[in-house]
Amino acid sequence: MPTIAIVGASLAGSSAAATLREEGFDGRVVLIGAEPQPPYDRPPLSKNYLRGGMPFEKTLLRPLEFYRERNIEMRLGTTVTRVEPEKRILELPGGERLEFDQLLIATGGRNRRFPIPGLDLPGVHDLRTVADADRIREAIAAGGRAVVVGMGFIGAEVAASMRQSGLEVVAVEPFKTPLYRALGEEIGRVVEGLHRDHGVELILEDAVTAFEGAGKVERIVTRNGRRIECNLAVFGLGIEPATELVAGTTVRVDNGIVVDDQCRTNVPGIFAAGDVANHYHPVCGRQMRVEHWQNGVKQGAAAARSMLGRSQSYDEVHWFWSDQFDANIQYAGFHADWDTIVVRGSLAERKFLAFYLADGRVESVVAINQGRDLRRTLPIIKARVRVDPARLADPTVDLRTLAPASA
Amino acid sequence: MARFVTVAKADSIQPGQMIKVEIDNFPVAVANAGGTFHAFDDTCSHEDCSLAEGELVKTAVVCPCHFAEFDIRNGAVLAPPATVPIKVYPVRVQGNDVQVEF
Repeated sequence: MPTIAIVGASLAGSSAAATLREEGFDGRVVLIGAEPQPPYDRPPLSKNYLRGGMPFEKTLLRPLEFYRERNIEMRLGTTVTRVEPEKRILELPGGERLEFDQLLIATGGRNRRFPIPGLDLPGVHDLRTVADADRIREAIAAGGRAVVVGMGFIGAEVAASMRQSGLEVVAVEPFKTPLYRALGEEIGRVVEGLHRDHGVELILEDAVTAFEGAGKVERIVTRNGRRIECNLAVFGLGIEPATELVAGTTVRVDNGIVVDDQCRTNVPGIFAAGDVANHYHPVCGRQMRVEHWQNGVKQGAAAARSMLGRSQSYDEVHWFWSDQFDANIQYAGFHADWDTIVVRGSLAERKFLAFYLADGRVESVVAINQGRDLRRTLPIIKARVRVDPARLADPTVDLRTLAPASA
Repeated sequence: MARFVTVAKADSIQPGQMIKVEIDNFPVAVANAGGTFHAFDDTCSHEDCSLAEGELVKTAVVCPCHFAEFDIRNGAVLAPPATVPIKVYPVRVQGNDVQVEF
């Protein structure tokens, strides 16, 4: 009986396992995860779950019966120690060996850490897993003032959730605005306003240079000399792909595991998907690694089909959301240098879309509380056509009319 | 006791359109899918967004907030992040009145 092993039991791994069965694969499926919990959804960890508004069971991606009924073997709390790609053998803790015919690597990422003094002090947190979220929840319950280090998407969501939980929140961000690298200054200012209006104190164009305290964090110190007393700190400095499983093997690694548009690595029988996969994207003709929820779901499924020889080119327009306070922020497309931003709607009311154009084409789009129109923009991005900025900006123009019918 | 409640004029909801109505203060979405009317919970089972503000694609509704999808004929989940189905309600058209059994 053929065996497909999946290393990584989060979104991409579990999506792949489910898709294998959906597609009729009746061989052995082994889903191996380092965390002790069955596959769960991470987006709530910085939002609902962090605020205590959602029990853990509700974050489970599928009920446990799902895996049992489909005969998906789960090996949880298990960190694979080694892989021999050519011999098609995985080594598990205790020396157990698992032979496979095909392997999907969906190991995701781990939080980036920088050598900032005091980063290891108790009370300084980062967020990736439900265990991390539980520690932060406990700290939130004790109240007081929190410092958020880095106002990227995770930092901004955690800042919002902690503020909504009644904490004083001070956020330190090296760039001019929150989400500056993704959205630029003009739209970043809108997000800045959102946070300030809800009482987050923002310290921009500054950076934390030390966490200080006797036995636990008591204050942070910034490059510009600010000293801020705090009860806890959370840093969100991005992730790096978890590629150590294939370190020293022939599987090619370059900012993640390098795969083609069908999730195939350079070694036959070895595939990768999700945050760890640096994949070739046929729409923009370059390699990219994305850390989005939707990519976990869809690329995991695409990898499963590819393993069964039913692959189509994986050409999703990447998309994600970030809920902060009353703002449902969505972003789609391919981050690139833009020359023009076209706004449709009202920045002041925080109800708008902003299209990022390069050479007349929409490369990406961000929306606040405008999900329907954001969805209607996806075919425009995929089609790579030049569009009239005046029509993009005009809210009476149905965006569905701006993409070719075939897209 | 379930009864049919008039919620809208049939000619006020064009094919491909959805509206949100309230029945006994409960939000219900009414959709015209190619001439056939469907009624279902307006509140997404994932995180409380209004489905009527989303997109109708044939007989599927896409939530505007996180793109969860449901079959409006039976409430089934078609795409995550939702995992729980939504409730659907029988609809009839009497003259020009769209009526929902609630």
